[in-house]
Amino acid sequence: MAEETAALPSLQTVLNELEVQRKELSNLKIKAYLFLASGITLIAIGAMLGSLVIAGAICGGILIIFSIVFFSKAGQKFSDYRDQFKQRVVSSALKSIDQSLKIEYKYGLPENDFINSQLFTQRPDRYTSEDQIYGNAGKTQFAFSEVHAEYKTETQTKNGRQEHWHTILKGIVFWADFNKNFNGLTVVKPKDMGNALGAWISDKMPIFSSSSKQLVKLESPEFNKAFVTYSTDQVEARYILTPAMMERLCELNDKSGATISVSFIGSYVYIAFPLEKDYFEPPVFKSLLTTKSLDEDLSIIRFMYSIIAELDLNTRIWGKE
Amino acid sequence: MIIIFIILSVILIFGVSIYNSLIGKKNQVTNAFSAIDVMLKKRFDLLPNLIETVKQYMQYEGDLLTKVVELRAKAGSPNLSNEERLDLDKQLSSSVKGLMVNVENYPDLKANQNFLNLQSTWTESEEQIAAARRTYNASVTDYNNAIMMFPGNIFAGMMNYQPIAVLANTEEERKNISAKDLFNN
Repeated sequence: MAEETAALPSLQTVLNELEVQRKELSNLKIKAYLFLASGITLIAIGAMLGSLVIAGAICGGILIIFSIVFFSKAGQKFSDYRDQFKQRVVSSALKSIDQSLKIEYKYGLPENDFINSQLFTQRPDRYTSEDQIYGNAGKTQFAFSEVHAEYKTETQTKNGRQEHWHTILKGIVFWADFNKNFNGLTVVKPKDMGNALGAWISDKMPIFSSSSKQLVKLESPEFNKAFVTYSTDQVEARYILTPAMMERLCELNDKSGATISVSFIGSYVYIAFPLEKDYFEPPVFKSLLTTKSLDEDLSIIRFMYSIIAELDLNTRIWGKE
Repeated sequence: MIIIFIILSVILIFGVSIYNSLIGKKNQVTNAFSAIDVMLKKRFDLLPNLIETVKQYMQYEGDLLTKVVELRAKAGSPNLSNEERLDLDKQLSSSVKGLMVNVENYPDLKANQNFLNLQSTWTESEEQIAAARRTYNASVTDYNNAIMMFPGNIFAGMMNYQPIAVLANTEEERKNISAKDLFNN
């Protein structure tokens, strides 16, 4: 609590400073929109009146050029404002939760790590990740990043090829040092139609499942209702997914909106949370001082931070420090 | 003629695949059981080291130590029935438990790095045994389902496959030998 109150005054001053920037920015944006709207209106009026086409087009054009100038100014200002927000506001919000937490807003989970985590079998064709937050909760190192991964399909139509982009994951990938040693790979996937069918095939007709991973049939009915589990090692999968761990993962899953995916590989646990919202972004048209946006950011950070306790990863009694 | 041939070959393929899957499941059970054995042995191998380390510090617990050593020697002999083994296991663990309760009285031992390592390895192997047992039970359930459900039951009858009992007392046994209880401090 002492840390929190100590961090708060500085956060308040930062917010006050940034609020000035935000007001300038929102004014610029409003101006830009106004110029754009009036430019378009002038051109439209000119065109309707017929005789004033050229005059309307010239005046309207000038206004639109103004609006473009304002937009580009606003763009520069916004990226500065956004950087400041992440560097100062999010940073000190992080410190209010735990002194060890830091943000690297330009970095995220590297694409290779995302693929190697094996959370998803589909390889992404387009991948972005940012806002890496990392630190320790007790003895356990952890980090999380916003990730947007998509894959592409192409269909042949009359008008040529058409690209379709499908989301693999939009949300947050969390990873932490796991408290037990293991060598293989264990993946826990949401039990949707495709995964349920895949599980049925690899159970009933193992000839048709080419994967090196085997279906793991676990005892918890609640867990099996939500997830399908695969692993390279049946015993190791159960060593990781103890009855207590299954219960904890179910609880974690209940707290998040969409079903989570979990993988255990290379002594790390990776958890993917599909989320709609873009987190850690500053508001432009809403005040920073009364904003609820920061509350949402804080609550997601607290949620991620609490996973360590939730999954009991600080209990280090299994031969791994 | 061709139709009969196709039907016959489909039946044949179907039969072979069921037959093979039953054998596969039975082997899976054996395999899962050997995994338990491996883990038990691993835990068992920890004992001499544990005794050595503890002996240096706990001079006043000679009786308990001797008992653990004796029980270990008994449990190590190869011609024991499963029940005897289980019984010895129980005695052994309660003795170790008695020993560990007294760790409290030896602060030097509690601070000993070697002992701490042994402690966590012990806990690790406990969890691994539990995992191996669960794997065994899952394989047994899979096998039992296969030989009791149609059409596997027809083949199982011909092959004289009998249902296998699951290790129902896992929880109780785990409690008895849980290292968490042993080393709780």
